[in-house]
Amino acid sequence: MNKLSAYKGRPGSLALRIMVDLSAALTVLVLVALVGYILYKGIPNLHLDLFQWTYTTDNVSMMPAIINTLTITFCSLLVAVPFGVFSAVYLVEYAGRGNKLVKVIRLTTETLSGIPSIIYGLFGFLFFVVALGWSYSILAGIMTLAIMILPLIMRTTEEALKAVPDTYREGSFGLGAGKLRTVFKVVLPSAVPGILAGVILGVGRIVGETAALIYTAGTVTGVASSLLSSGRTLSVHMYALLSEGLYMDQAYATAVVLLIMVIIINAISSLVAKKVAGKAA
Amino acid sequence: MEKNRLLKNLKKTLAVGAIIVMAASLFTACGNKSDSSSDSSGMTGEISVVSREDGSGTRGAFIELFGIEVKKDNGDKVDKTIKSAEVTNSTAVMLQTIKGNEKAIGYVSLGSMSDSVKALKVDGETASVENVKSGDYKVSRPFNIVTGKKTNAAAKDFISYINSKEGQAIVDKEGYVSEDATDSYAKSDASGKIVVAGSSSVTPLMEKLAEAYKKVNSDVKVEVQQSDSTTGVTSTIQGVCNIGMASRELEDSEKAKGVKSQEIARDGIAVIVNRSNGLSDITSDQVKQIYTGKITDWSEIK
Amino acid sequence: MNNSFKEKAMQLVFLLAACASIIAVILICVFMFGNGIPAMSKIGIVNFLTGTLWEPFADVYGILPMIVGSIYVTVGAIIIGVPVGIFCAAYMARFCGPLQYKVLKPAIDLLAGIPSIVYGFFGLVVIVPIMKDIFGTSGKGILTASIMLGIMILPTIITVSESAIRAVPESYYEGSLALGATHERSVFATLIPAAKSGITAAVILGVGRAIGETLAVSMIIGNQAIMPDSILSGARTMTTNIVLEMGYATGIHRQALIATGVVLFAFILIINLLFTLIKERSARNE
Repeated sequence: MNKLSAYKGRPGSLALRIMVDLSAALTVLVLVALVGYILYKGIPNLHLDLFQWTYTTDNVSMMPAIINTLTITFCSLLVAVPFGVFSAVYLVEYAGRGNKLVKVIRLTTETLSGIPSIIYGLFGFLFFVVALGWSYSILAGIMTLAIMILPLIMRTTEEALKAVPDTYREGSFGLGAGKLRTVFKVVLPSAVPGILAGVILGVGRIVGETAALIYTAGTVTGVASSLLSSGRTLSVHMYALLSEGLYMDQAYATAVVLLIMVIIINAISSLVAKKVAGKAA
Repeated sequence: MEKNRLLKNLKKTLAVGAIIVMAASLFTACGNKSDSSSDSSGMTGEISVVSREDGSGTRGAFIELFGIEVKKDNGDKVDKTIKSAEVTNSTAVMLQTIKGNEKAIGYVSLGSMSDSVKALKVDGETASVENVKSGDYKVSRPFNIVTGKKTNAAAKDFISYINSKEGQAIVDKEGYVSEDATDSYAKSDASGKIVVAGSSSVTPLMEKLAEAYKKVNSDVKVEVQQSDSTTGVTSTIQGVCNIGMASRELEDSEKAKGVKSQEIARDGIAVIVNRSNGLSDITSDQVKQIYTGKITDWSEIK
Repeated sequence: MNNSFKEKAMQLVFLLAACASIIAVILICVFMFGNGIPAMSKIGIVNFLTGTLWEPFADVYGILPMIVGSIYVTVGAIIIGVPVGIFCAAYMARFCGPLQYKVLKPAIDLLAGIPSIVYGFFGLVVIVPIMKDIFGTSGKGILTASIMLGIMILPTIITVSESAIRAVPESYYEGSLALGATHERSVFATLIPAAKSGITAAVILGVGRAIGETLAVSMIIGNQAIMPDSILSGARTMTTNIVLEMGYATGIHRQALIATGVVLFAFILIINLLFTLIKERSARNE
């Protein structure tokens, strides 16, 4: 009540305040509705059968899809992280200010991060699947996703490197270390939490990706036996289940597992972020 | 300053509007939305027509069988489905749309039929496997496998399994219409990996067949790739897969590229409406008129 | 000697890695434009971009309805998502206590992480029937898709706007308070205008996300390839055009779909360019 009286004679402020509170409440409400819906529909359909090692049309197991998701995530990171980290190192540690190349790299990175996944899907299909002749394979999916998450990793690593105090570098130089040694022994180790944060964001993006994978990694239900065989990730699995409409219950159960994965990834990410903040302080 | 305030006001109005719409949507979401309009007859209102996407095997068979596809003088086929029909590329979306809209009409593979919607009798015939088999229910399409140059021993062995008594028994069991088969499957010494790719309508059946086949011949590994009929045929032509799956007949242009098809089963197409729709019987002419936009209101259907 | 060679070699490695993104963009451009442009010239660029008929069986390819559809849903998503997003960002930056923040922050992260296919199905099962009951249409259409996209771009708008609002120096806020303005007035008349460029960036990112969204939209927009005549009617966007027909398309039809992707890509490039320009301007202002 005390609070309300503060708005006496200030209807504009009161209206603003209401709007702000409403917007925040609405955002939470939407989330609650979404999550509630998924859990309500999905949890009753979660059975052990869904986690058997091999997919058959009887158990509609999502285990192969989970394994494929892990493989694809891991391999995409394997490709994207070195490129992302090294380019960030170049941008922060080597390139001089006002370097033309840096400007171009920045522009292309921005471009990459703005491209929608369907375009990545088309490109991956045209380049990796058709032009390079890899056909539908998780390798084509991995490369497409690696390009997709490259800007994410670059940007977060760049921020992390910039946050490393110059005194560290000066100290290292002062002790007689070369530039390379300084980068690998001093700068990069202290930027690890920041880089990790980028990696986790990338993982989140990969786990939720569908459109870019349908045209590249294909939709085979089993565990991909080699990089050149096709396999579906969990999101694609859900898409495929929905498209025929025969396995709706299992699709909802898959959504629950996806949701749990996202929550875990987010939790790890905020944990890492806290660590970064703790270090900065 | 004045401009600023104006801008703010505008923003406010927009926000309020947005909030009201969204809040309304969320609140009514929790409420129950079952209208009790289950009059047996007297369905009125604009028909909401739902169709599959261009090129889908289900759509191809549907428009052909109901005469929605018209042949022009020069032999080109024209799809007359009205432009305002909703389009979806997913059976789940189709079922959900019909389930949620009492004025909607759509079509779906008999194998994917669910209790959440109602299948109409077409010209007095119930959409059932028996009626498709006997030929009474006319709305059906073939499930074809497509083979090209790359048919190796393993692929041949799998095909002979599909055509055997055992293979066709699975077709029956899964609710599709089987072909006549006389011979039992005899295991050959073929081995290796074969890729079967194509129609998402055929895929569920093919997966069942592949699983059963694995039990009788574990030397051959069958990989089933779900996409669509055209991709299946193209992949077979290009040699990307050993066997293609198509839920339609081959085009002449495709046959010219050296592939041939073989029917392994038939599938009925059910015309579906919302469960609360009082209608239970429709003529094929009415279906045609609805899909070509001549009939737009349920009251026109007696 | 050996050491300086190593230094030089690694510097080269870093440089090459940094060029990866340039190579990727070039490759994407070459393959998209290379596959799309021939189709466009075969159909005729003007016919392709301004034709209102999309009839693949008759080899008539006009994507104006899809371009209009994409623009409609994107604008709709912005109208719905941006005000809510900015208010919510203001709440997080300036109004809520630490407890509420602890709830809201992960909630928004979660919203950002939910796969779009889940959004799509939620929209189909929950929002579509509501729209149907309110407006008496089939429920699918531009407005429905706009609401869904408005929700989907919320995390982007909120996260970027929040950090923009937080980046405004505290002295702005204090100065406003000292002049007798209320807390709300100080936030909305001082902080938010000062964070303008950051918020604009947020909106542009939202536009990019909305125009590029595919699977969720394809489930709830109706996908009719016709010019929409109201915000309640169904429409097809460029993205859904691709995802609907790509699987079946052969020959010129397939190229026309890739060309649709090229047009979408061009839109994205323009949006990105705007984004970069705004960022540069704000950097100069600082």
